Amino acid sequence: MGLASLILLIMLPSQVREPAYDSGAPSPRIIPGICLVIMLIFSVVLLVQSLVFKKEKIVEFDWQKERPAIILIAMLCVYVVLIIQIGYVPASIITFIAIVFFCGERKWPVYVYIVIASILIYLMFKNIFNIPLPTGELFGG
Amino acid sequence: MFADIGAAFVQTFTLTNIAMICIGLAIGMVVGCIPGLSVTLGIVLMLPLTYTFDDAATAIILLLAVYVGGMYGGSISAITLNTPGTNSAIATTFDGYPLAKKGKVKKALDTSLFASTFGGLFSAILLLLCAQIIAKLVSNFTSVEYFAMGILGISLIAGVSGGSLPKAIISGMIGLLMGCIGLDAVTGVSRFSFGLKTLKYGIDILPAMIALIALTQVVMKLRDFKLAGGKLDDANKIDKEGLTMKEAKSILPACLRSSGIASVLGAMPGVGGGVAQFLCYNEARRTSKHPEEFGKGCLEGIAAAESSNNAVVGSAMIPLLTLGIPGDGVTALLLGAFVLHGITPGPTLFTKQGVMAYTIIFGLLVANIFLAPFGLALTRAVAKIVQVRYTYLAPAIIMFCFAGAFAATNNTKELVLTAAILVFSYILTLLDIDNTPLMLGMILESIMEKNFVTASMSYDRDYTIFFRRPISLVILILTVVLLVSMMRLNKRIEKANAEQEAEMAANHQKFDAEAIEKTEHNEWGPPPAKGGTSED
Repeated sequence: MGLASLILLIMLPSQVREPAYDSGAPSPRIIPGICLVIMLIFSVVLLVQSLVFKKEKIVEFDWQKERPAIILIAMLCVYVVLIIQIGYVPASIITFIAIVFFCGERKWPVYVYIVIASILIYLMFKNIFNIPLPTGELFGG
Repeated sequence: MFADIGAAFVQTFTLTNIAMICIGLAIGMVVGCIPGLSVTLGIVLMLPLTYTFDDAATAIILLLAVYVGGMYGGSISAITLNTPGTNSAIATTFDGYPLAKKGKVKKALDTSLFASTFGGLFSAILLLLCAQIIAKLVSNFTSVEYFAMGILGISLIAGVSGGSLPKAIISGMIGLLMGCIGLDAVTGVSRFSFGLKTLKYGIDILPAMIALIALTQVVMKLRDFKLAGGKLDDANKIDKEGLTMKEAKSILPACLRSSGIASVLGAMPGVGGGVAQFLCYNEARRTSKHPEEFGKGCLEGIAAAESSNNAVVGSAMIPLLTLGIPGDGVTALLLGAFVLHGITPGPTLFTKQGVMAYTIIFGLLVANIFLAPFGLALTRAVAKIVQVRYTYLAPAIIMFCFAGAFAATNNTKELVLTAAILVFSYILTLLDIDNTPLMLGMILESIMEKNFVTASMSYDRDYTIFFRRPISLVILILTVVLLVSMMRLNKRIEKANAEQEAEMAANHQKFDAEAIEKTEHNEWGPPPAKGGTSED
C-alpha cells in the first residue's frame, strides 16, 4: 500500500494538471495530496508495527478456500464482457448457469428459474423503471 | 416548525409512502433473516429503484423501512437457526436459541417482535424531539466546520470498524482518493483518470456501493456455499404459542432500559448496533430479578437485545440528519442515498427542507408501527425463505446488482467499473482491510471537498482557518480525543463480547447435550458459572 501511494504521489503532478488560470480556488491537488501523504504515513506505521513490534497479523492465503471466490469473480468479469457483447438476458443465462453448475447445484428447477429470473428482471427494468438494459453490440443493440 | 411538522404529517401518509414502507419492511426482513446477507445489502439493492422516485423523502423512507425490517429479520434466524442473520442480532441468539430449543419458537419470535417495535418507536420519537434542537445548535456552522465534521465522520468510522486502525485509515483515504477520480468540480481539471475514458467522469457511488457491499457479500456467501457442499442448517419449527399479555408486561422494563441505553449509544457516531446490544444485554442481566435465567431462554434477554438494536436505527439518524455524519455502515449508505438524491443532510435540511426532514422522521415512525403487524403476518413465510437453496437467491441478487449499477447512468462503463471495484474489494478483503471506511470516504469526498473549497476561498486560501475558528478546532480536537477513547472502549467491549459469546456458545452446547438426555421441560441443569463479562 505504501508503494502504491508513493507511486501515485509521484504521479500526482502529471495526473492533476494545475489549472491554466487562477480562479482563486485552492489547487485541486491538495485533497488527493493530503490523502496520499496520510496513506504513506500509515503504511509506514503498518510496516513498523510488523517489523519492529512483531504485531503482525499474518493473513494466510488459503488457496483451497480462495480458489472458488477467485473463479466466481472471474466469472462475473466475463459476465460484464458478455453483457456488453451479447446483451443482458443471454449473458445472464449463460453466466449463471455456469456459476450455479460450478457451485455444485444439479437440480434442474434452478436452471429453469435462472432463465425466468433474467427475463423478468430485464422486463422489470425496461417497463417499470424505463431503463432498457443493454441488448448487446453484436446484434446491433 | 409546527407548520412543517403538520405538512410532513400529511405527506407521510400518501399511498406511495405507505406502499414503500410495506415493501421495505418485507425486503428488510428477508435480507436480514438470511445469514451472510446484511441490511446493507438490502439497502444497496433498493437504491437503484429509488432513482425513479420523484420525491427523495419517499426514497429515504423505503431505505429506512428496509433498515427497520432488517433489524427484526436478523432475530428470526438467530432464534430458529442459532445463526444471527445480521451482526446486531448476535446477542439475540443468547436467549432466543435456548428458548427455541425448548419448543417455544413463537414465543421467542413474538418477544423479539414486541421488543423491536418498542425500541424502534422509542428512538423514532426521540429523533423527532431531538433533531430540531440539535439542528438549531449547529445552525451557525460554516463550511469550515462542515469540513471538520467530515474528518470526524471518517475517523470515527475508521476507529470502530475493528481490527487495525492504520488499515482502517488507509481504507478511508483510498475512499477519498477514489472519490477524487474524474473531473474536479471547481477547476474542471481531470484527476487520476490515467487517460482512460471510463474514469474521466469519475466513479459514480452507486456502482461502487453495489460492488463493495452487495457483490462482495454475495460472492463470499456463494464461496461458502460451494465449500460447504450446499448443506443447510436445521431450523426449528415455529409453533403456535405466542406471547401473553402478562409476559409482555414483564419484559417492559427491560425494553425500556435497553431502548434508553441504545438510543444514547446509537446517537454517538461510531458506536452502532453491534456494540449497543451487548451493553444492553449485560445491563438487563445485571438489573434483572432472575439473572440466572439469562442464557437459558429468558424473555428479558431477547427483549434487551432486540429492543436495543432497533432503538439504534432511530437514534443513529440523529447525527446523520442534523450533522450529516453517519454512525455506521448502514447510515453511511443512507448518506450515500441522500447525496444521490441531491440532498445534503445537516442543519440546513431542517431550515430549508423542513417538510422533507419531518416526512422522513414520520416515515420511520410509521415503519416501526407497521413492523408489528408485518412481523406477525410474515415471520413464518420469511423463516421459510432461509430454507430456500442459496443457488436460487444468488443469481437473482447478482443479476439485480449489475442491472442496478447500469441504471446509475445508463452506460455500460458502469458495468466495467463494478467488476473492477469488485476485484479491488476482494483484494482488500484478502489484505484484511475493511471496506466500510472506504465507502464512506467516497461518499463524503464530494461534500468535504466542496466545503473545503468554499472555506478556503472565503478566507483567501488561508488554510490555517480550520484550526483558528473555535468550533472547527474543537471538532478537530474532539476527533482525536474520541478516536483514542473509542478505540480503547471498543477493544475492551470487544474482548468482553468475545468472552461472552464463547460462554454462550458453550452454554448452548451444554444445552443441546442436555436436551438430548432429558425430555422433560422443567428440569434444566445447574445455572452456568458467571463469566468474566464486563459490566461497564
